Amino acid sequence: MKKKILSMLLATSMVAAALTGCGGGQTPAQAPADTTQTEAPATENKTEKVDADIEQAQAVAEDSGYVYEGTAPITQEAGKSIKILAETSNYTNVDIANAEIVKKVVADSGVAVDWQLVDYNNYQDTVTPMLSTGQADADIILLPDQDTNQVYIKSGLFQPLNQYFGSMPNFTKWLHDNPVMKAELTAEDGNIYYVPGTNVGKDYQPCLMYNVVWLEKAGMKAPETLDDFVALLQYYKDNDMNDNGDKNDEIPMSIMADFLPYMFGPAFGLDLVSGFQADADGNVTYAYADSENYKKYLEFLNGLYKDGLLEVEYTSLDRDKVIERISNDLTGVAYDFSWAMSMMYSNVLPYYDGTADKAFVGAAPLSGDSKGFYVGRVELGNMFAISTNAQDPELCAKFLDYAMSDACQELYQWGIEGESYQVNADGSREFTEKGKDNDWLQQFGINPSFVFPAQQSVASTDVLVADWHAKSNADLRQYVVDPWPFIYSTDAETDTINTYMTDIQTKVDESAAAFITGTRPMTEFDAYIGELDALHLPEVLEIRKQQYARYKKALNG
Amino acid sequence: MARNDKKKSAYVEKKLPLRTLIYRDRYLLIMMVPVIIFFAIFCYFPMTGLIMAFNRYKIGSGLLGVYNSPFVGTKWFSQFFGSVYFYRLVRNTFLLQFWSLIIGFPIPILFAVAVTQIRRKPIQKTVQVTTYLPYFISTVVVCGMINNFLSPSGGIINQMLNKLGIESINFMNLPQWFRPIYVISGSWQSFGFNSIIFVAAIMGISPDLHEAMRVDGANRRQIIWHLILPSIRPTIILLLIMTLGSMMSVGFEKVYLLYNTAVYETADVIQTYVYRQGIGSSPPNYSFATAVGLFNSVINFAIVFVANRISRRVTDTAIW
Repeated sequence: MKKKILSMLLATSMVAAALTGCGGGQTPAQAPADTTQTEAPATENKTEKVDADIEQAQAVAEDSGYVYEGTAPITQEAGKSIKILAETSNYTNVDIANAEIVKKVVADSGVAVDWQLVDYNNYQDTVTPMLSTGQADADIILLPDQDTNQVYIKSGLFQPLNQYFGSMPNFTKWLHDNPVMKAELTAEDGNIYYVPGTNVGKDYQPCLMYNVVWLEKAGMKAPETLDDFVALLQYYKDNDMNDNGDKNDEIPMSIMADFLPYMFGPAFGLDLVSGFQADADGNVTYAYADSENYKKYLEFLNGLYKDGLLEVEYTSLDRDKVIERISNDLTGVAYDFSWAMSMMYSNVLPYYDGTADKAFVGAAPLSGDSKGFYVGRVELGNMFAISTNAQDPELCAKFLDYAMSDACQELYQWGIEGESYQVNADGSREFTEKGKDNDWLQQFGINPSFVFPAQQSVASTDVLVADWHAKSNADLRQYVVDPWPFIYSTDAETDTINTYMTDIQTKVDESAAAFITGTRPMTEFDAYIGELDALHLPEVLEIRKQQYARYKKALNG
Repeated sequence: MARNDKKKSAYVEKKLPLRTLIYRDRYLLIMMVPVIIFFAIFCYFPMTGLIMAFNRYKIGSGLLGVYNSPFVGTKWFSQFFGSVYFYRLVRNTFLLQFWSLIIGFPIPILFAVAVTQIRRKPIQKTVQVTTYLPYFISTVVVCGMINNFLSPSGGIINQMLNKLGIESINFMNLPQWFRPIYVISGSWQSFGFNSIIFVAAIMGISPDLHEAMRVDGANRRQIIWHLILPSIRPTIILLLIMTLGSMMSVGFEKVYLLYNTAVYETADVIQTYVYRQGIGSSPPNYSFATAVGLFNSVINFAIVFVANRISRRVTDTAIW
C-alpha cells in the first residue's frame, strides 16, 4: 500500500513540476487585428492625413465634464490605472519606478501606474519575443526597437494615435513644431502609432579626441588634415611621449574598429556610418561601394596599418583596453562617443586635474579630399505605443501626452526645484550640490527615457559634464551633419533588404578588414565591387532610393 | 550462460498476458507517466512548430501564428542554400566540430585511464578537481582570457614567443589560427569534466579481473590495453555516437565572442550567420532561423543514424 501511495505521489508531483512552466501567467492576448488587409493606400503627401486628423481633433469630456487640455491631472475619475511595459534604468543602483521624478509625474497625472520593468540590458531580447507572440500584457509599451519596417504596426499590435489626437494637445503641438519627425513617424497608412522620446541629434556625438599633454609635448595643434594627422602619429610613435624612458611603448592611437568609418570616412566624402547617403541633388549611393573614394579610404588605412600607426590588433580592440592604455598614459588619440571624453577617458589619465589642459579633448574632424564632418544621430529615440488590448486607450493617450508635456520635460531634464536644481537671480538654472552628484541625480530619476518619452536637453547635459567638455561640444556642433533619416519600409522592401543585406554587410565587413590588413591586395578592389553587385546591392540601393524619395516628398509636400 | 538466462526470461514473459504484465509492473508504469508527459509536452509538441520553417511567421500572431501564417514553401531553405556563404558556413561549422572531435574526444579517455592509474588517492583527487575546474568558468571569461593571453601587445603567449626570438603573432586576426584556438581552448576547458564518465566506467570494472590479470603476470600497459579499454568500449562508442549527433551544432556564444570580421573566412559558422540574418535583424525572422535549425537537425540525425549503423556492424555496439 505504501509503495502504491508513494508512486502515485511521486508521479503527481513530477507532472505538476513539469507543467509549472506551462502556466499561463498572462491572459492570452486578443487576436490582433490584421491591418495589412485594410491599409489605406499611401498618399502622395504622407502627413496629409495626420494634418487633417489634427485639424479635426476635438477634446473629449469625461462623464464628470472634466476636459484634459494638456496639463495635470489627465483625469478626475478616481481609481484609474495603467499598465506600462518599459525598461529599468541603465544604472543598476537606480529603482526607476520609485525615483522621485517618475513618482511625481505619475502622482500629478492622477492615475496609478502598474510598472512592468524589464532589465535594460535584456530589453530587446525579452520584449521582442513577447511582442512577436502577442503575449505583452500592458496598456502602454516601450518598443524594443524603432520598428523601422512597420512590423508591429502591420501586425495590429498597436493603436493608431490619430483617433486620440483630441486628447493629445501636447503631442499634436510637438508634431506641428517638428515637421521632420512628424514625417518620419507617419506610417505607410498615413497614421502615427508612436510617441517618441528624442535624442540630441547634433550634440555630444562621437568625435576625435586628443591627449592635450601629448599634443603640447609634440609642439603641435590638433591636426585638421589627414597629412598632419599622420605626421602627428608618426611623431608619437618615434618619441617617448609618456617620459618613462621607453620609446617603444607608445601606441599612437587607440581606435576600436567600429569607429574607423566614423573617423576617416568623412575625409573621403563618405558617410560610412549610415552606409547609404544622399548628396545635395538627392542622389542616393552606398558609401561602401564607392569605387573611387572608398578605395582611397581603404588605401589610406592600409598605409597606416603597414606603417604601424594602426595597430595590428585593431579588429579585436575593445573599450576596456583603450581605457587601460589611457590610464597607463600609453596612447595619444582616441575616438568614441562624446560622453567618454570627460566621463571615461580623461578621468583615468594619471595627470588629469579637471582642466582641458590635462585631458582628452575633442577636436575638429579630419579633412582630406573632402571637408571633414561628424555624423549626427537620428533624433527619434525610444518609442512608446498603446496596445490594441489596452483597457482604456483614451486614458493611455492622455497619459502619454501628459508625459511628453513641457512641464514633464522640465522635470526629466532638471528634476524638482529646490531638490535637484535651483534658479539663479538671472533666471538661469543650475543643479544643486546634491544634483551635481551624478549617482544621486540618477537615483532621483533624471532623464527617465526608460519609462517616459523624455527629450534629451543640451542645457541640462552641459551642466552635468566638465565645463571644458561642454565648451568642446559647443565647438564641435558646427561639424555635425544629419545621418540617413528614419524611414519606414514597406513589406516588400523589408523582405528584399532582409534577404540581401546580411550577405552584403558580411562581404563589406570582411573585405574592409582584408584590404586594410593587406591579406587582400587593393588590386582586387574592382572585384570586390563586382561581388557586391552579385550580392544584389543594386536592388537594395534601388529600394533606398525609393525610400529617400518618399521621405523627401513627405517632408516637402 | 547470461545469454541463455536472457532467452529464458524473455520466453517466460511472452507467456504472460499483457494485462498481467501491466498489473505486475503497474507502479513502474505509473512512474513512467510523468516522463511520457514531459517528452510529449516539451519535446514532441514543440516539433509541430517546425512548420514555421515553411511559412512566414507573422509577428504578433502568437502561438496560433506558428500554424496559421502564410505558407511560403521552401523559401527560407532556398534563401539559405542560395547564400553565397552557404558552402563556407557548412564547411566552417563542420570543421570546427570535426577537429573538436578528433582532438577533444580521445583526451578525456586517455586522461581517465591515466588518472585511474594514480595510486595515491589524494593526488588522484587533486588532479581530477583541478582539471574539472575550467569547465565551470563561463564562456565569456574563457574568451576574455584567450584574448588576453594571445594579444600581440603584451599577451603571455607572444611574450614567450618573443623570448624565443619569434615575432609576435596576431592570433585573433589571422583566419588560419581560429580553428586551433577554438579547438585547443575547448579541449582544455572540457577534458577534465568529460573524463568523469570514463573514470566511472573504469571504476566499474570488476577488481577480480584486475586481480586475475596481475596473477597471470600482466604489466600495467597490458592491463590498460587488454582489460580497461575493451571494458569501456561500449561507453566510448555511446558517447562518440552522441557527440556525432551535434556535428553541425557549434556552440554559438564561443564563436561569437572570439570571432571578428578579419577571421570570418574560417570562423563564421551557421549559428552566427543565422543570428545576424534571422535573430539579430529587425524584425527577427524566426521562420528563417527555424528553417536553418531544421536543416541542422536533419544533418545531425543523418550522421547519428549512419554512425549507429556502422558501429553496430563493426563493433556490435549501438544505441538502438
